[in-house]
Amino acid sequence: MDNSKFNSPDKIKPHLSSDNCILRIENLRTGYNLSRSKIVSLHNNININISKGELIAMLGPNGAGKSTLLKSLTAIIPSLSGNIYYGNKNLNKLSRKEVAKLVAVVLTDKIADRYLTAYDIVGTGRYPYGSFTGKLTSSDLQKISNAFKVVGAQDLVTRVYYSLSDGEKQKIMLARAIAQDTPLILLDEPTAYIDSPGKVIILNLLKELVLKHNKTILLTTHDTELALCYADKLWLMGKEDYFQEGKPDDMINSGLINQLFDRDGVEFNKKNRRFEIKKKI
Amino acid sequence: MISRKHTSLFFVILPLLIVFLFLINLWYGSVNISWIDVLDTLMLNSNQNQASHIIILQYRLPQAITAMSVGIGLSISGLLLQTTFNNPLAGPSVLGISAGASLGVAIMVLLGGSMGLKLSGNLYMLGDMAVVVAAFAGALLVLLIIIFVSGKVGNAVTILIIGIMIGYLVSAIVGTMQFFSSSEDLHAFILWGLGSFSKTSLIQSISILIVTLVVVILSMLFVKPLNALLLGQQYAVSSGFNVKFLQTIFILISGFLIALGTAFTGPIAFIGLAVPHIARTILRTSNHRLLLPAVVLIGAVLTLGCNFISKLPGYDASLPINAVTSIVGAPIVIWVIIKGRRMSNG
Repeated sequence: MDNSKFNSPDKIKPHLSSDNCILRIENLRTGYNLSRSKIVSLHNNININISKGELIAMLGPNGAGKSTLLKSLTAIIPSLSGNIYYGNKNLNKLSRKEVAKLVAVVLTDKIADRYLTAYDIVGTGRYPYGSFTGKLTSSDLQKISNAFKVVGAQDLVTRVYYSLSDGEKQKIMLARAIAQDTPLILLDEPTAYIDSPGKVIILNLLKELVLKHNKTILLTTHDTELALCYADKLWLMGKEDYFQEGKPDDMINSGLINQLFDRDGVEFNKKNRRFEIKKKI
Repeated sequence: MISRKHTSLFFVILPLLIVFLFLINLWYGSVNISWIDVLDTLMLNSNQNQASHIIILQYRLPQAITAMSVGIGLSISGLLLQTTFNNPLAGPSVLGISAGASLGVAIMVLLGGSMGLKLSGNLYMLGDMAVVVAAFAGALLVLLIIIFVSGKVGNAVTILIIGIMIGYLVSAIVGTMQFFSSSEDLHAFILWGLGSFSKTSLIQSISILIVTLVVVILSMLFVKPLNALLLGQQYAVSSGFNVKFLQTIFILISGFLIALGTAFTGPIAFIGLAVPHIARTILRTSNHRLLLPAVVLIGAVLTLGCNFISKLPGYDASLPINAVTSIVGAPIVIWVIIKGRRMSNG
């Protein structure tokens, strides 16, 4: 496929040497190899920056390539081509351990183990630091207990992870990411399977991390209405290379949200900021 | 969470239990030997020509050491495989490595037999060593195939399925060879398949023990990555580990232990699969810092116990160890797992 026709910049040009830039994505092509000859590419040319202190929500229908992009950014999945820079370091040239000190993730993967405690799990956040075999140091212990405090889960420390509710589990995985002590945290659908108050709690927590703890956060979600309330920026993703970046207000007003999501008689009401059944006139 | 007291009690009682079972294994057998003679022999105080001295040093001691070493090796390999593949059903038999060993032996005994190499029958001394080499070669061959595959595909489930398929394939080849072999050769092969800890010399058994312990100590270095793998491959990657590399290392370590054990004793069922479950349930933890040493201790206790039971009939021939491990072990595991379930639910 000819990439050049996708090169029309998406209204945003990457600020190449902005001090504020924590992550820079250049000509990124995401997707996966089904076999040697069969490549499924989801997005062919993503160019975008993430600035320090932003809470970015990635929105888009299933299959738009949100999770794939998220995992490409941490090299969990290799990207097909293009470059990802953390500060001025190319992701390809960083070791796994170095990457683990720059970016933490919360994924949708289920943990099947029945004995690990919440403490055990948050403790793995400290693994990128210290030796291959080493025990946790006192500064590790400090970071771990602080992480529990930040997410407000001190009462869960000794609980078996498996026995926790979905909302509590998500808090623990978030605490793990906080214990990993990285400037950037990526979350794949952090609000999925969680009840409504739980969703608000999680998003509030994330907002607090950005405002009070100097974190930068990129998350994917299907909770569009909530994302519009909490996110500083939205990345709208769709199929066939659709990619738009902007502030929630701008995107609502310009009708981009309607464009991407309205279907089957459901429309996004700009005034109430929620999805409604289209009124017949 | 389990109390620390409970955990330290476990690590005191189990070593004592091992010593006790070890001595019982030296003392009990088809020939009556007094405790005094057993201790004298161990202290090297006894007359070298005394029957008890010879029986203990040449038969019972190597048997007990081999039982213990193989128990440890299989249990560790079971734990590594279960963690690597994130699958509670993983164990020595699933990767087809023990099937590979039996292919080696089948080629040796069945094919060799029909081609006129008279190694079969009772498997004489030369035959014994040849069988060990054949089993080791067969196991390593399958191990290399698995390593090659895991280098190509990173996905743990795919590797597991391919391992199981290789196991079936190899078993089918062995089955075909059995069909066409003489009843005498077949008898020898089936005997090998029933497993036995009593085929090793003292030197061999001590060598197996040393090699096993070295590999066990080596695997203790991997506590952190093993714990990280409990969260799944992607989280392990995000914690800074090279999962593909680790996967290969763990398959290599466990494959080597399985090959070693199977070569000298025949395939021993059940131990590798069960011991990690018993350890997790007793200690109520998945942390490999505790689990690895616990699995070593339980593995040794279980095989020494089974070896003792296999000698209980008291005749010249003992019960086939493979049957004993399953008959004794399976109910234990069922009990342990049901108990564990109830505790984690309640």
